[in-house]
Amino acid sequence: MMEGLAVAAGKVAFSLFVLLNFVMLLTWAERKQSALMQDRIGANRASIFGFTWLGLFHPLADALKMVSKEDFVPAGANRGLHAVAPFVALFFALISFAAIPFGDQLWIGRHPVNLQVIDLNIGLLYVFAAMSMGVYGFVLAGWASNNNFSLLGGLRAASQMISYEITIGAAVIGLVMVFGTINLQTIVHRQGELLLGFLPAWGVFYQPLGFLLFVTAAMAETKRAPFDLPEGESEIIGYFLEYSGIKFGMFLMTDFVETVVVAGLVATLFFGGWQFPYLYRDGFHLPGGGILVLSQQVVCVIQVLTFLSKLAFFCWLSLLVRWTFPRFRYDQLIRLGWQMMLPLSILNVVVTGGVLLLLHR
Amino acid sequence: MEEIVKVPKQAEKGSGLTFWQRTYVPEIVRGLKLTAAHFFGNLAVHIFHLLGLWTEHRGAATVQYPEEMRGYSSRLRSLHRLTKRADGSPRCVACMMCETICPASCIYIVAAEHPDPNIEKYPESFDIDLGKCVFCGFCVEVCPEDAIRMDTHILDFAAYSREEMIWDIHRLLNNEPRRAEGIGQIRKMK
Amino acid sequence: MPTLTIDGQPITVSKGTTVIQAAEALGIYIPRYCYHPGLSIAGSCRMCLVEIEKAPRLEVACYSQAADGMVVHTITENVRLARRSVLEFLLSNHPLDCPVCDQSGECDLQNYYMEFGLYQSRFLENKIKRRKAYPIGPHVMLDNERCILCSRCVRFCDEVSKSHELGIVNRGERSEIALYEGRELNNAYSGNVIDICPVGALTERDFRFQCRVWYLNRTASICPGCARGCNIEIHYNVLRPYQSKGKRILRIKPRFNPAVNKWWICDEGRYGFRHIDASNRLRECEAQTADGVIPLGMETALKTAAAWIGESIEQHGKDSVGFFLSPELSNEDLYAILKLARHLGISKIDFRNPGEHPGFEDNFLIRGDKNPNRRGCVELGLYHRQRENGGWMAEEIKQGTLRMLVAFLQDLSLEPEFKAALVSLKRLIFVGSNSNATSEQAGLVLPSATYAEKNGSFTNFQGRAQRFERALVPLGDSLPENELIARIAAHFRMPEQPFEREQLLLDLRAEFPFFDQSTLDPPDVELAYQTTIAQREHA
Repeated sequence: MMEGLAVAAGKVAFSLFVLLNFVMLLTWAERKQSALMQDRIGANRASIFGFTWLGLFHPLADALKMVSKEDFVPAGANRGLHAVAPFVALFFALISFAAIPFGDQLWIGRHPVNLQVIDLNIGLLYVFAAMSMGVYGFVLAGWASNNNFSLLGGLRAASQMISYEITIGAAVIGLVMVFGTINLQTIVHRQGELLLGFLPAWGVFYQPLGFLLFVTAAMAETKRAPFDLPEGESEIIGYFLEYSGIKFGMFLMTDFVETVVVAGLVATLFFGGWQFPYLYRDGFHLPGGGILVLSQQVVCVIQVLTFLSKLAFFCWLSLLVRWTFPRFRYDQLIRLGWQMMLPLSILNVVVTGGVLLLLHR
Repeated sequence: MEEIVKVPKQAEKGSGLTFWQRTYVPEIVRGLKLTAAHFFGNLAVHIFHLLGLWTEHRGAATVQYPEEMRGYSSRLRSLHRLTKRADGSPRCVACMMCETICPASCIYIVAAEHPDPNIEKYPESFDIDLGKCVFCGFCVEVCPEDAIRMDTHILDFAAYSREEMIWDIHRLLNNEPRRAEGIGQIRKMK
Repeated sequence: MPTLTIDGQPITVSKGTTVIQAAEALGIYIPRYCYHPGLSIAGSCRMCLVEIEKAPRLEVACYSQAADGMVVHTITENVRLARRSVLEFLLSNHPLDCPVCDQSGECDLQNYYMEFGLYQSRFLENKIKRRKAYPIGPHVMLDNERCILCSRCVRFCDEVSKSHELGIVNRGERSEIALYEGRELNNAYSGNVIDICPVGALTERDFRFQCRVWYLNRTASICPGCARGCNIEIHYNVLRPYQSKGKRILRIKPRFNPAVNKWWICDEGRYGFRHIDASNRLRECEAQTADGVIPLGMETALKTAAAWIGESIEQHGKDSVGFFLSPELSNEDLYAILKLARHLGISKIDFRNPGEHPGFEDNFLIRGDKNPNRRGCVELGLYHRQRENGGWMAEEIKQGTLRMLVAFLQDLSLEPEFKAALVSLKRLIFVGSNSNATSEQAGLVLPSATYAEKNGSFTNFQGRAQRFERALVPLGDSLPENELIARIAAHFRMPEQPFEREQLLLDLRAEFPFFDQSTLDPPDVELAYQTTIAQREHA
């Protein structure tokens, strides 16, 4: 009993550690990466005792600033809901990471430990559910601020969420049909197989269209450019218009947490999660026939590192997209969601079904 | 017959786009390729710099002001200075031309009698309120004695109070020009 | 009576009139340096050259007498060319130090050069160096380099002031203006040479470097220095107070009035403006209390003054209050006081008569009577010859019948009998612009505006009532006397309307035929002194 609790606590701690550190690094990476993309240097002034370390102290400085700033609640706002909203948003973003596996089973002595915070049969549904709940935080924030622009931002967030969550769901159905499960750990296990004898059986090879649709919709889910209509800094400022200090910081964090969750989800569903190509529980089995035997613990470490690398890559990709493309107009955004991506994702389901039917006959 | 130009009632949408362009995907990839190329290129340069290599190639367009500064055009109008005679006294004869022409009324001169009758008049005080100055350069143009110039290339003279923005004759006389070698050239400041 | 045509306009003038005068009568301005209507004709500058038909060459307009059938062209190509050449010669040795020259802005060299000048200098030789910027008298600086030898100043000293201090010494290009051996330019009218000097050779020591002339505002006024009532222009600087260290009035210039002072004023009048910005100006109402002198608000002070007068009349009768006026008050101020006195039934009104000690007097402008408005007092019936010097008032104060006095402007304690009497006076209100021994003794001090700070009129000894205009805002809390009186009168339920400026004048004219319209000279800006006309012409 105690052991189980300790293990669960450890997994939660590791998961949160990874997630929150990624978030912190993302605030740094956002500045530095955009700077590199635009031939700039990026934030590099925050220093401790004269050390700047590539601007790595900026997240720290930001956090300090956010915490120490005045917490302002506008007159006429619903104080309770105004205070709760950022917690709702951040909470659901954080817990959605729990179902994503970051490794295979690790054997400690004779006890197998599943490297996943919660091993759910309905893991995928859980993640979607948690992410959908997050939108309540934004709508609440927009409504409780007693500000028309905030309200507009909240409404935009809600309608954008509805438009794109349908696509997310529909795009993943094809994948679920291929793997026959919605347990994320099982999906990852299934991607450890080989296609045609050499190609890792990653979801992206089964579902290229599904992958594109899912990535697009999932980025829309994070509310970051080019899908940042709910925030819309240049026009309505968005649902967090009346937020300051650490509450505003929590909304900012939510965006980055969602970015990490989406990156984890994409890695898990379409790029084999923690799977390293040709690495099995006992070591490498190269397609040519070579075998490199490794201890189970080493394999596990490699798998966790693999997952983290994939996570990092998709975060990087997300930033790359965010700093490359201009914003959609709102009508373009809705049209893209309903008139292009939704029909395509349904088409993807139908075609997948047809192909599966043909193959299994 | 006049040629009638047809004005389309609505801008045509999606005209001239090929199928692949309409899917966005290749174009998105092209865009990502471009930004990613910049990213990795600059990343490599910065890594080289960290290793002390290839430092003559700048990895970013950023000028690290105020540690680095650019050379400005010699035509730039920057902070004023009063020029001096050979003996160090101001060339200004307090003719009030600049004060008269100044559209912002930011120059305040008080004239006094100079002991040398060949100089006759000199400014007892000469204040410029930079908080009001619009940097039009009229004072320089109008000066009959070449006593005031705006060629110091000093642009960072912000202060914490209105009073500190008023430069008196001693500060204006001792404004050493801070000119870089050439336009756009970056040089390190101490 | 020759009839001639100037620039196509015919005019008939009296015999002996010169072309330049005839042209001026037509409103045609001919540039000049040496010619001045108040001086003899020198014909030395050659600036006024005009083309006269059938004359073999250009003629000087200032010396050519109008003749019947003469056809004059003041502005032709030849004339322009001639004037350009004249300017080129005049400027050949001129130092061109306009930046430091006080004349710049009202300099005829600048003005004419803008219109006729060559603009491209052809002068390659070395300029002759001369003595620069040295005082030749208490008021005048001379700069020989700037001089164009028009000799206006020499002629002024010979013909107008008749003091003969200046002359032209040496010959040829070495000629220059100089003082005669052992003399200095120290006559009662020496300041006028500054005004008539068309260039920056003669400048004012007092005004030197105080302010550029284009910063000055000008207001027509009347000199309060003596009974002559010379027409003057007040030049003041209020936009740039830092330049003249808080002084507002910087100089006084004469204003042309052929009937009074022509083009001139005396030096005493020219520098008689210092009390206006002096440090002893009264800026706020003051009251003498047991704790010493305390400042009062204007409203409180006027209320107190009215209460004092009222109490005194109530308790001791109308004869217990006296008004002691000054012949330095304007007609309007005097009349306002008269109105209040009539309303209250006060009959004890007098003013000190300084006629017993007449000041310096000459047979030109300066009058021995140093009060600008004694004639006004006489015409208003306030001057009682049999009760001269107000000595009877001192007697009544000593006897205790006169318990309260409202004194205007003057220092009563200068009179020996008053000096003793003031001690036994119960209540003294002083109305004046500058503090003096009387104001220090007064129980209540009301600050009043000086002549530069109010509208009004003075009647000079000839009987010309001449109006002057307000140039400056009264200093501190001070107000014109008629306004102070009007506000005290309001406490006695008198309407304000009779004290308004225009109404005061109307009533004044209706009651005293002397002040009918013809004698009230409005300040005529069009007759302002010559340089101003020149500037206007060439603007």
